[in-house]
Amino acid sequence: MDRKAILNELKKVLAPYTEDKAMLEGINEQTDLIKDLKINSANLVDIIIDAESQYNIEIDFDAAEKMYNVGNCIDVIAEKLNPSA
Amino acid sequence: MKSTGNDIVALNAIDIQRTNDSRYYSKFLTPAEQALYQQTPADITFERFVWLLWSIKEAAYKYLKRHDAGLIFSPIKFVIQGLNVPTDIAIHSFNGIYWDSDHNTGNFITGTVIYNNEQLSVRAKLFNELIITVVNADAQFENVYWGFQLIDRTGHAHQAEEAKSFALIKLKSVLDISDLNILKSEIGYPVVLDGGTPLDIALSFAHHYRFVGYSFKL
Repeated sequence: MDRKAILNELKKVLAPYTEDKAMLEGINEQTDLIKDLKINSANLVDIIIDAESQYNIEIDFDAAEKMYNVGNCIDVIAEKLNPSA
Repeated sequence: MKSTGNDIVALNAIDIQRTNDSRYYSKFLTPAEQALYQQTPADITFERFVWLLWSIKEAAYKYLKRHDAGLIFSPIKFVIQGLNVPTDIAIHSFNGIYWDSDHNTGNFITGTVIYNNEQLSVRAKLFNELIITVVNADAQFENVYWGFQLIDRTGHAHQAEEAKSFALIKLKSVLDISDLNILKSEIGYPVVLDGGTPLDIALSFAHHYRFVGYSFKL
């Protein structure tokens, strides 16, 4: 799965947690989950758990801390999907 | 280093089933932190305990972020030690419009949270509907004011506006300055101004669902 495909799937993961659907549609790798998408920090763990289910991966503590913007989320998911890349 | 950090968790906005799943809480609670639950009174359900610890970590992050713009919120690295929940804690429903730290000074949940070499003291209150938390370097919380308010609806912009108005009312009453305003700094924390002049006051906002809150240190 390439980064664009991961980003499109990631929109589905983030959708329940942001009220700004227009912003979500236009996200890019620099989009910050809290500052830009106004996602409440209390939902950050939900996003990690949902991403694990969506991509059938396991995201550990060290990886989870990097998931504060879309680009970092894609990095973590891509690395888990294809560890040798 | 003057700072402040607070947090609110609206308990009717959390997923109880998910919170009780070890796959969930083990993402941000260490085994030692999970073990603290054995020492808490039976009145505290596990999901409330989990969100209390989350709230402490978040408040500590906000406290430290003010002086460390590059700090990333990594909840597992904020380590909670010595959580003290009063054995006679009675968890009531919140029936009012607002609460602030002038209302009483006792019966808080207390504890310590550590991040690298920084150690912060914790005060928290637990209602049926929410958890509110504030952290401070000084365990006496001298010159620290904190409060929360129930608002009419959710929505990020509305929450932000209500939190600001609520904090301004308290700041004006404490400082006796009428021309106060609050703006955001470049890294995102609120700054209190008298006219156009920034004041040496640390202010933090929190919101979740229909609750907004502030903490500030003079």
